[in-house]
Amino acid sequence: MKLLKNLPSRLLLFSLLSAVAAGVLGAAEKQPQSVQVSIGTILASNQSDEFDAKLKGLESQLRVLKYRSYRLLKNESQNVPWQGNKAFEIPGGRFLTVAPQEFRDNRISLRVRLTQGQKPLLDTTVRIPNRGNFLLGGPPHEGGALVLSISAATQ
Amino acid sequence: MELTDWELVRKCQAGEMSAFQDLVSRYHQKVFMVILGLLRNRDDALEVAQETFFRAYRKIGGFQGGSSFYTWIYRIAVNLAIDAQRRQKRNPLDFRENMDGVLESQDEVARDPFADVHDKELRENLIKAINDLTPEHKAVIVLRTIEGLSYKDIGAILGCSEGTVMSRLHYARKKLQDKLSSFL
Amino acid sequence: MKDCERVQESLGGWLDGELSSTDSDWVRAHLGGCGDCREAQRRLEKITLVLHGALASEGRNIEFLPFWHAVERRIAEKRPWHVELRDWARGTFSAPRIAWAVPAAIAAAIVLFSVNSYFSSWRGSGARNNFTSVDSIDAYGQNVALLREDDTKTTLIWLYQNQEGENETTEEPPQSAPAF
Repeated sequence: MKLLKNLPSRLLLFSLLSAVAAGVLGAAEKQPQSVQVSIGTILASNQSDEFDAKLKGLESQLRVLKYRSYRLLKNESQNVPWQGNKAFEIPGGRFLTVAPQEFRDNRISLRVRLTQGQKPLLDTTVRIPNRGNFLLGGPPHEGGALVLSISAATQ
Repeated sequence: MELTDWELVRKCQAGEMSAFQDLVSRYHQKVFMVILGLLRNRDDALEVAQETFFRAYRKIGGFQGGSSFYTWIYRIAVNLAIDAQRRQKRNPLDFRENMDGVLESQDEVARDPFADVHDKELRENLIKAINDLTPEHKAVIVLRTIEGLSYKDIGAILGCSEGTVMSRLHYARKKLQDKLSSFL
Repeated sequence: MKDCERVQESLGGWLDGELSSTDSDWVRAHLGGCGDCREAQRRLEKITLVLHGALASEGRNIEFLPFWHAVERRIAEKRPWHVELRDWARGTFSAPRIAWAVPAAIAAAIVLFSVNSYFSSWRGSGARNNFTSVDSIDAYGQNVALLREDDTKTTLIWLYQNQEGENETTEEPPQSAPAF
């Protein structure tokens, strides 16, 4: 076969080009431009047995909490640059500020601060799997408690 | 009895320089003609032809006889000529003798039994028209014209199918006829 | 007229002896009765003749011994390593030869990258560990609980916040305290 006649040169050339292309793509993978952060604000309470159909995707996680009722109050997404930060308004005069730190091993390091007015309630640094989420809950609201589903995905 | 190409190759591979000299003797004119057909410049063609045999000498240890020797040597020659042509296009022209000037020489031409070359204008315009072809089209025309190689051999030299050789030849000939219609 | 087009397209192959015997006979028969196609044949033969003559005459001008000595000198001289590398690179990286390699390398890189992403996501947060991990928590003096639930891969941070206006804990748990 013609292809086999120059096999060593072709293999070397192929390997070189693959390595270069993979390196470029790998480098590109390590430097996503920003993070899309989504905050789902959920009211958990025992005042009814309602389960909001919009929360179907989170049902198994929310059931851990043993509340009888879960209602989605709002869902908001924002693109947040690396080392930058964005504030999400939370019911009850609260704000959730999110600051993506770094991307490593397919996990996004996020600094998260919950404030009420000017008063900080909670600071935490988490590492979320890309396109994964975690729950932050507890602030009281309308006879129940707010549960925030915080998810992040690289862009 | 004259040795075949393959027998000479085997002797080269065994280290006999004289066998390589015999091979060069057999093919140097043909290789030069092919390269001259691809490059306009005689000096460049000479240099590329010498480089062709130098490269062949370096690689002859790996020649397994999968193709004929002449197919193999022409392949080296055509590849080097096409590379040289691409470099020529990037570099400014120099003032060495070029093929136009070569074809001005009447003496050889007058004695050439093949040449129906009474028409100087036809020759000049033919060379210009050939040079307007792409390297791949030029290669098929030159290999077919000079050597009368089969489409199969030309395909083996250029690394393409017989069908591609046929269509390139057809295209090249049509281009030449269109450009030279007033001279033919 | 259509026959003439087909014949003139086949003339090159016929002159080169590359047509099948059937096609060859057909072309020959057509040429016997068509002046236009015979004229096309004449033009084609003339071009071939002129080019052959021009190149062949030049080929005969090459004397063997000076040519051979020049080749011998090239064989004898040792080329600098960078010239060898340049010549190898020119030969290997020339456009027709890398034409196949470029799309193949791109395809291979995409496959490698996809496989790597799949396995690293699997490794990093797949079947074995896709929990969100918590590096630090500061609740500014308030109680906080951290829960990780295996089955649903849930990470939960729960802030035990006093109801507004309340300064002391009551016996009953506040509405905001979940049972988990």
